[in-house]
Amino acid sequence: MKIVIVLILFVFSLQNAYAEAYCSLRDPVAQIKKLYPQKTNQLSIVKTVDTHTRNQVKLALPSNDLHFSELGQHTLYVAMKNTQALGYIHVRSEQSKWGLVEIIWALDKNLRIIDFSFQRCRSPKRKMIDNESFKSVFIGKNYEELKILLSSDGITAKSILLEKAGNAPELASVVLRCALKTLLITDVLWGEELKKFNP
Amino acid sequence: MRMFLLLLVLFSVSSYGEFSDNLRWSLDASVRLNKDIAANNTSRIYALGLDTHKIFSFASGDIGYAVGQLYFTKLSNQMPFSSLFNSPDDEQFVIREAHFNYTASPKWWPNIRIGHFTLPFGLEESIDTNGRLLDYYHGKNLGTKLDWGLGLNKVMSPIEYNISYTLGGKDQPKSIDGSYVFSGRIGSLSHYDFIIGLSFLAAKIDNIQRKRFAIDWQYYWQTWGFLGELALGKEDEFQQEWQKEKYCLLELNNTLINEQLKLYGQYIFNDREGEHQNHQLINIGVSYQMDAKLELSISSRKQLSTPESGKKQNLVRFQLRYRY
Repeated sequence: MKIVIVLILFVFSLQNAYAEAYCSLRDPVAQIKKLYPQKTNQLSIVKTVDTHTRNQVKLALPSNDLHFSELGQHTLYVAMKNTQALGYIHVRSEQSKWGLVEIIWALDKNLRIIDFSFQRCRSPKRKMIDNESFKSVFIGKNYEELKILLSSDGITAKSILLEKAGNAPELASVVLRCALKTLLITDVLWGEELKKFNP
Repeated sequence: MRMFLLLLVLFSVSSYGEFSDNLRWSLDASVRLNKDIAANNTSRIYALGLDTHKIFSFASGDIGYAVGQLYFTKLSNQMPFSSLFNSPDDEQFVIREAHFNYTASPKWWPNIRIGHFTLPFGLEESIDTNGRLLDYYHGKNLGTKLDWGLGLNKVMSPIEYNISYTLGGKDQPKSIDGSYVFSGRIGSLSHYDFIIGLSFLAAKIDNIQRKRFAIDWQYYWQTWGFLGELALGKEDEFQQEWQKEKYCLLELNNTLINEQLKLYGQYIFNDREGEHQNHQLINIGVSYQMDAKLELSISSRKQLSTPESGKKQNLVRFQLRYRY
């Protein structure tokens, strides 16, 4: 019983909550390979998204919050070609009316978007992501450049993006909010550590 | 077991960064209340465990990851009880998953897993049910859910596979009376909205030989999911004669858009040669994730067909689970 009490005291000093057992964790190996076909391996860096991070998101992006599944420990992947870092992969979820939409973001070493794809999207309009015209709005942009595309309500994308989204304006706004949170959280939590890959 | 610990020490010493880097751990506590209405019995299961996940890396990339789950489990008037326990009120330290998966193999070479892991077969391969009321009856169908051994796995562009050879000792890392389990599954990628997989199993556990082939699928449409597993096989208890067996599980589930409330209904059919009639069950469950830490779940299982004993199974379960 003493062992149990020691375990409780020890673990209660930590903040590592994750709703599902860790044996269910899976790396998005196939998607990383698709976004970085030339990579030979990936380097994982795990950081904790906590209430402090959540408050920073709320402050930087008013009217926005993080879903509870977005709290806890998350992995940023560095796509490696032998010992050289090609860029980063970050998976983020955003709530939508079709449940959580999970998007895999490929970022360059200056935290600009290179590419992205859905890991999970149950919207009947998910094929919008294959539209090059829609995708091109995001590619090459950083956090500040994408934030300009968000309306003053903090939720909806501006017409310059919605025009490219055809009949899927709601999904376009979901993708934009997810991009902004991804770039912000990557910088806030991983930024310092990633400097060694971009001297 | 020693081999597994030795591997962890070796990778810890040679890996890049501090041991605490890329280490996840959570305290996982649960209380489960079971009301067996047919047998007029109420039982409880208390579990308190440490769930850990550690990624080992070199400067050039990840080498692999380890999962370790040690649970102190206490039964109270639990009937029937698992073979891990000695009485309805027993308490034991139980190792759930404890394995290392080496992922740094070159291009087409598979990852190599060693340790105590869930047998790769059917729906359980892509939907983890450890510590949940949701169940795909892996242990009941295959003879054990987890076993000690070696496996090969890989996610490639159109498919993923997982094949393992384990010792059949269940919680013990050894072969008992010639026990073994050879199982595997190959399927489409598990993040798609439509997933299909084929599984096989050849095993001897507790002197019972089993052979199985199965097809499983998952189809998701918006917030709905339609899942199924169909298995055909045969079983030979105590080396008498092979008896054919058919098994089918169908599930319809719905998840609210905020992912907090999940509902599911299952229909399970089992037909075994030599038995007077088949077994049919329905299982209805709800789980509510209050936040990232606290989950409440309830399920009700009812037997549709009348067994030889005349008592239809009628079980209601409630679970409170807290992860910190």
